[in-house]
Amino acid sequence: MEDYKFLFKVVLVGNAGVGKTCLVRRFTQGLFPPGQGATIGVDFMIKTVEVDGEKVKLQIWDTAGQERFRSITQSYYRSAHALILVYDISCQPTFDCLPDWLREIEEYANNKVLRILVGNKTDREDREIPRHIGEDFAQRHGMYFLETSAKEAENVERLFMEIAVELMEQAKCKELPKYDGNLGPINGGVSCRIRFFVYIFLIRKLLQ
Amino acid sequence: MQFCGLLLEKIEAITTVNQFKICSSNPSLPSNSEVDEALAGVLSRTCTLEGRLRTASQAYNKLGEVKADAQIAADMVDKTAALARDVSAKVRQLDLARSRVAECQRRVHDLIDLQLCSAGVEAAIKAHDYETGAAHVSRFLSMDPGSVAAARARGAADPRDAMTRAANTLREHLVHKFEEAARKEDEASVERLFKLFPQIGRAEEGVDLLAKYLAKQAEATIRRACVVAEPHSEAAVFADALTRVVEAGGAAVEKARVPAAVVAPGLLHRAIKAIQPAVCLGAGCVYKDMVISRRLDLDPRRSSRSPLSAEPILAELALAHSRVRLYFGFLRRKAEADASTLPEAAKKASIEAVEKIITGCELMRTGQDILAHYLEVERYFLEESVNKALKLSTPQTGTTTSSLVDDVFFIARKVIRRSISSGSVDGACAVLNEVASVVERSVCAALRRWLRAPPPDPLPLPPPRAAQLTVLDAAGELANRLNRDVDAQRQLFLAHMNEAEAGGEWSERLAAEACAEAEPLCRGASERAKLHSCASGLGAAAAAFRAAHDLALAGVKAALKPRVHAWAEVIVDPDVGPDEMDDDADALPLALEQFCEGARAQVSARTVDALLLGVLADVASRAESRILHHHYDRVRHGLLARLVGITDFKIEDIKRLKL
Ligand SMILES: Nc1nc2c(ncn2[C@@H]2O[C@H](COP(=O)(O)OP(=O)(O)O)[C@@H](O)[C@H]2O)c(=O)[nH]1
Ligand SMILES: [Mg+2]
Repeated sequence: MEDYKFLFKVVLVGNAGVGKTCLVRRFTQGLFPPGQGATIGVDFMIKTVEVDGEKVKLQIWDTAGQERFRSITQSYYRSAHALILVYDISCQPTFDCLPDWLREIEEYANNKVLRILVGNKTDREDREIPRHIGEDFAQRHGMYFLETSAKEAENVERLFMEIAVELMEQAKCKELPKYDGNLGPINGGVSCRIRFFVYIFLIRKLLQ
Repeated sequence: MQFCGLLLEKIEAITTVNQFKICSSNPSLPSNSEVDEALAGVLSRTCTLEGRLRTASQAYNKLGEVKADAQIAADMVDKTAALARDVSAKVRQLDLARSRVAECQRRVHDLIDLQLCSAGVEAAIKAHDYETGAAHVSRFLSMDPGSVAAARARGAADPRDAMTRAANTLREHLVHKFEEAARKEDEASVERLFKLFPQIGRAEEGVDLLAKYLAKQAEATIRRACVVAEPHSEAAVFADALTRVVEAGGAAVEKARVPAAVVAPGLLHRAIKAIQPAVCLGAGCVYKDMVISRRLDLDPRRSSRSPLSAEPILAELALAHSRVRLYFGFLRRKAEADASTLPEAAKKASIEAVEKIITGCELMRTGQDILAHYLEVERYFLEESVNKALKLSTPQTGTTTSSLVDDVFFIARKVIRRSISSGSVDGACAVLNEVASVVERSVCAALRRWLRAPPPDPLPLPPPRAAQLTVLDAAGELANRLNRDVDAQRQLFLAHMNEAEAGGEWSERLAAEACAEAEPLCRGASERAKLHSCASGLGAAAAAFRAAHDLALAGVKAALKPRVHAWAEVIVDPDVGPDEMDDDADALPLALEQFCEGARAQVSARTVDALLLGVLADVASRAESRILHHHYDRVRHGLLARLVGITDFKIEDIKRLKL
């Protein structure tokens, strides 16, 4: 079997053209793809990273931003461990749509899902949304915030690594002591003899 | 050799004489008579020696003659070789000369042809014999450019001018004739004329003209196909209309491909490009009408549609989408067939050109819209149907059975199969996600809710003899009898427990089924990975079912605790005498057997095993703690004695139990 201890699903959402596919490609393949077409439906990529010496498999779902793919993409929200909501810092309308996206997330995602707001394309000169505006928005809606550039590979690695670290911490906190239905080792002395009595019955049953 | 032998012999003879002289002074040497004898011997050999010498000198003379002859022969060979070299060089020159003559002839022919061609083309046009005209042009196009250049170099007027003019005229005529034939829908002429275009070096133009003609034809067919006579029929009338539309498009593409495959391979994308808009337009019309007639513009949750009435629409949407997908698959296949004879690079370019048309066309978006509507309605159907099943299964006083899990998986399977029939991997994935989510969120949650609080004594363990008398137990017994519902409650609880167990298996089976059934839809490894990942979401639902079952198991075990403790007390009771103890030896096994029998009729064998294991563990640990509490040796010894009597098992058996 594959050698990993944790598997997390990360889903990227946001308007078409904000750079979701580029972010995923930059992270998983280390490249900035020139002129690929718009995503259709959902794409699926995998990268295994290491956190504190443990292998963490990130399953990254890259979604299409257009309205007509909504019913496909929405179905991925619920099983997501982390949702990355992306806007383009040089395109006001992509920022203005964020409340709509949040409504979607509220409706379909698990309410404990890790949510990260990402302002992409920091390399561009024609910035329209100042950093603090994005930060404010994220804070108001209880999201992590990061600005990235898929083109210049800025903060992309950090984005996914921080998600992996955070999710792993959450997973470790949730790890409850396993239910132990066993009788435990057979000790000597009195208890051993009592158990004998009980086992005999059991064995008789099984041998029938 | 012989000669040398003779000489040596001679020398030997002389040496013998010398020796003889030296030796004669020696008194111990042979006598005179002996010497005479030897001398006579030597002399007698002189004769033979002379004969041999003669023969040798004769042979020498002969050798000289042979040498002279050989020299003459060698000279002759040399001369012959030189001659042969000369001849082959001449032959080569001759070859070259001949090929030049041939080239000259060809060029002369070319030039003559060129004159003839341009005249021939004009004549052919006049005679409406376009085949001959095209053959002339074809000849002109295949001409050695050197011929024309050579002619021009000699100051002649460029003979190509006339020919090019003639070719252009022919082209104009062909186009004109083609359009005329197209107008008249004269299929035979269209086909005949189309085949001439590649000959005059205008394959693309021919394909474009043919495609334009076919597109126009298809347009008319499609216009008729779009009309849905009974838009409110429950039958899949819109899917049927869409089928007719794409079939008309497919037929047109095929009509373009067949003649083009022979004379102009690799140009199918040009034909598709011309035909596709008509298909897109037709499909768009059908789609628009469908949205209006089927009220797809409304949020299904807000429409008054019942889940039942949504089913025909869902089937129609899935069918419509699968038709679009099939059409695109058809185009891809045809493009591949069309380009199959081309070199690798041209083949790739040709196939890519078709792919680009497919991804960019309106029909692609229409297909996506259809899928979006399908998924929206399907989600509504799934949620409503599951809610209905939940409502029907909500525990009520008196109900003893539940079919929630069966009902839900019947729905789930239907929904998943329908999504696969849409032909879309993304669609199937989305539905798998929805199913996993609904099952986990509604069904498992409901089961957990119902299984959290078990009724008293869901599975009874007979009490030990001594404890039967306790007032508390008797009182509980009475209370239970008084409450007639308790029995029904127990049965329902166990039914739900069984459902939780079955749900886990169902989920996994459903996931495996879905993967197998949707496998043929996957194009490439990444689609397959996507499908498998989404199907594994049902694995999470299975885990939720198991958790619900574990919860129930824990509840039953907890309910058994008082009786289990009573049994533990009896086992280690310090006041029981050895005789009594023997009587009781089989009491617990008997009680457990009764318990198992009762349980087996109600829950699965695996659950019975788990419960039995739990009870045994509890009895053991309780008895253990009690015995430590009593510090009672007699019991210990008594137990031991009893054990020795019935131990007919092996230690391996215990180990195998992994207790
Ligand atoms: N300058 C700049 N352009 C980017 C960046 N990321 C993406 N783009 C461009 O934005 C366009 C849309 O990117 P894409 O990843 O397809 O967006 P998606 O629809 O969200 O997946 C493409 O033309 C990319 O080249 C970035 O960080 N900087
Ligand atoms: Mg994209």
